Amino acid sequence: MLWRQFAMEWRLYSRDRVAMFWTMAFPVLLLLGFGTIFRDNSGPKLSLVRVQSAVASPQDEALDRAMTDLQLKVQTLSKAEAEARWSRGETAAQLEPAGDGYRLRLNSYLMAQAGATAGLVNQAWLVAQARLSGAPEPQRIPLQVESPGHKRSTNYASFLLPGLLGLNLVSMGLFAVGMTNVTYREKGKFRRLAVTPLPKWIFLLGQVLHRLTLTVAQAALLILVGRLVFGIQNQGSFLDLLLIMTLGTGCFMAIGFALSGFADTVEGYGAIANLVFFPLMLLSGVYFTLDSAPGWLQQAVALLPLAPFLRALRAVFNDGASLAGHGLGLTIVAAWALGAFLLALRRFRWA
Amino acid sequence: MSGPALRIRGLRKAFPKVIAVDGVDLEVARGEVFGLLGPNGAGKTTTLEIIEGLTSADAGEIEILGLTWERNGQEIRARFGVQLQSTSLFNKITPREALDLYGSYYPKRRGTQELLELVQLEEKADAFHVTLSGGQQQRLALALALVNDPELVFLDEPTTGLDPQARRSLWDVVRRMKGEGRTVVLTTHYMDEAEALCDRLAIMDRGQVIATGTPASLISDLAMPSVVELTFEGTAPDPAAFATRLGQVVEQRSDLWEIRTPDPKALLPRLLEAAEAVAVPFQQVHIRRATLEDVFLTRTGRSLRE
Repeated sequence: MLWRQFAMEWRLYSRDRVAMFWTMAFPVLLLLGFGTIFRDNSGPKLSLVRVQSAVASPQDEALDRAMTDLQLKVQTLSKAEAEARWSRGETAAQLEPAGDGYRLRLNSYLMAQAGATAGLVNQAWLVAQARLSGAPEPQRIPLQVESPGHKRSTNYASFLLPGLLGLNLVSMGLFAVGMTNVTYREKGKFRRLAVTPLPKWIFLLGQVLHRLTLTVAQAALLILVGRLVFGIQNQGSFLDLLLIMTLGTGCFMAIGFALSGFADTVEGYGAIANLVFFPLMLLSGVYFTLDSAPGWLQQAVALLPLAPFLRALRAVFNDGASLAGHGLGLTIVAAWALGAFLLALRRFRWA
Repeated sequence: MSGPALRIRGLRKAFPKVIAVDGVDLEVARGEVFGLLGPNGAGKTTTLEIIEGLTSADAGEIEILGLTWERNGQEIRARFGVQLQSTSLFNKITPREALDLYGSYYPKRRGTQELLELVQLEEKADAFHVTLSGGQQQRLALALALVNDPELVFLDEPTTGLDPQARRSLWDVVRRMKGEGRTVVLTTHYMDEAEALCDRLAIMDRGQVIATGTPASLISDLAMPSVVELTFEGTAPDPAAFATRLGQVVEQRSDLWEIRTPDPKALLPRLLEAAEAVAVPFQQVHIRRATLEDVFLTRTGRSLRE
C-alpha cells in the first residue's frame, strides 16, 4: 500500500515535466552561474585606480614596481577618465598625485576593499622609498587568502554547493510541500481521501519518501556537476551526507506541513512562506557568511535550523569532518523538526 | 443485513454565524434511493458531511449500516461510497489510474474495466483528468464512489452544473445502483431530479427537515394538490379585483396567476365567470398537478430556487 502510494506520487510528479525540469535544473544553474563568476581561487583581487602624473618621475616608477610586486592590480587612467569612473561609483580606491607625494581617495561605500587596498599601497610606498634611498627593504608579513575552516577546498563553488543543497531542502519544504498541502486542502483532495480507509500516515509517509528520494536525486546531480565542472569532491563520508540530508529533509518538510496549517488559501500561504523563506535564506549563509553582522544577529541565526544545518553539511562535505563535532547544531535542527512536526499535527486539517 | 441503512437522531451543528443543522432525524431503509431536497444553504451538504465523518456534529446520534463512527470508523469507510460535491484529483491522473489507486485502498473492490463501462468512460480511460468534460469528471467521481462495491452510496449534488443530457446519463447510473440493491442517499436542489430518482425524500430548510415521504405522498398530502394557471402576454396584472370576485387566493407570478385548489373541475366554471366579469385579459388556462416545488412553497412560503 505504501509502495503503491509512493510509486503513484513519483509517476504523477514525473508527468509535470516543466516543474521537474526546473526543480532539478535550478540549483545546477545557480552553481554553474555563481561558481563561474567567482571562479578565482585566490579570492577577490584588490584593485587600485592610479591617476597618471603629468611627467612620470623615478618615484612613480618605483611605486608602480613595488605595487606590482605586492600583487595589487593597478589601472592607470588619465585624470578625466579616473574622475568619470570615480563618479560612477566603480572605484574603491584611487591614488592621485598631490604636491610632491600622493593622496589616496577611498570610496566610503566599498570600505572593506578600499581599506585593504590602502594597506597594500602604503606597504608598497615604504618599499619604493627604501629602494629609492638604497636602504634595506622593510620586511613584509606574507599574506595568504583562504576560506576559514575549509582545509582542502577553497573556491567559492565549493562553499556554494552545500549552501544550494540546503536551499533546495528549504524551498522544497516551504514551497513544494506546504503549497501542495494547501492546494490539496483547498481543492478538497484530502477530503476525498478522508472518506476512504487509507490510513493517513501511509499517505503522508508516501509523500515524505517521494520528496526524500527527489532530494537525494537532486543532491546527486548537483554533486556530480560540481565534480565534473569545478572539481569539487565530497571530502566526508557519503553516509554522513545522507544522514544530514535526511534530517534536513524531515526538518524542512515538517516546517512546510506546520506552516500549511496556518493558511486557508494558496495565496495566503505564499505570503507566509516568503516571510519565512527570505530571512532564512539571506541570514543563514547560503550565499555569503554573516561575519560582519552584529553579534546578536549571528547568535540568533545560529538558533534557526538552516545555519547549523549548513555548518554541519559544509563540515562534512568540505572538510571531511565526522558528525561527532556537530552534536549541538544537529540537535538544534532535530529540535526544529520535532517542534514543527508537533505543531503540524496540532494545526493540520484534512478539510 | 437487518435494520435501516442509516439512522440519525437529533443531529445538530452550529457554525459561528449560523445553525447549519438544527435537530435532524432521518431513517433510510436498505435498498432505497433517498433524497435530501432543499435550497442552497438548507443544511443538506453539512448533514451529509457529518454522516460521512468529514465534519463533527455538536450533538446527535448516527448509525450507518448498524455501525457508529466512534467504534467502527474504518469499517464504515470500507463499506460506504462517497461522491463529494466537488471531487478533486490530480490534473494528470487518468480515470484508469484513479480507479486502480482508490480501489487499492479497499479490502473489497470492483474491476476498473467494469466501472469504466458502467459510467461510459472506456474511451477516456487513459486521458488526463484535466482534459475531461464536467460531465465526464462527474461520472468518474461516481465510479470512484462505487470502487469498493459499497452497500451504501452518498452523492452530494451529483448533477449540479451539468447539461441536461449529462444529467440524464447520471440518473441512469443511479437507477442502476438501485437495481444492484445498493442504498443511495443523495442531495439535490432540483425538484425534477428528486421526483425522478428518489423513492423517499426529506425536504430541508434552514437546517431542519420540514417534510418526509415519497414524492407522490408529499404532493397528495397538500390540501390543494392541483394548480390552475392563467397566463398573460407580458407581465401579469394585479389580481386583487379578480381574487375578491372569485373568493379565493390568487398568487401573482411574473407572467401568470396561480390558484391552488383541491378540485379543479369545480373551480373552472367559477373562474371563467369571474374572469369575464372583471375582464381579465388572460391568454391561456393550464391545470397541472402540484409539484415538489409547490410542496416547498406551501410549507415555507418561499421558492426552492430563491
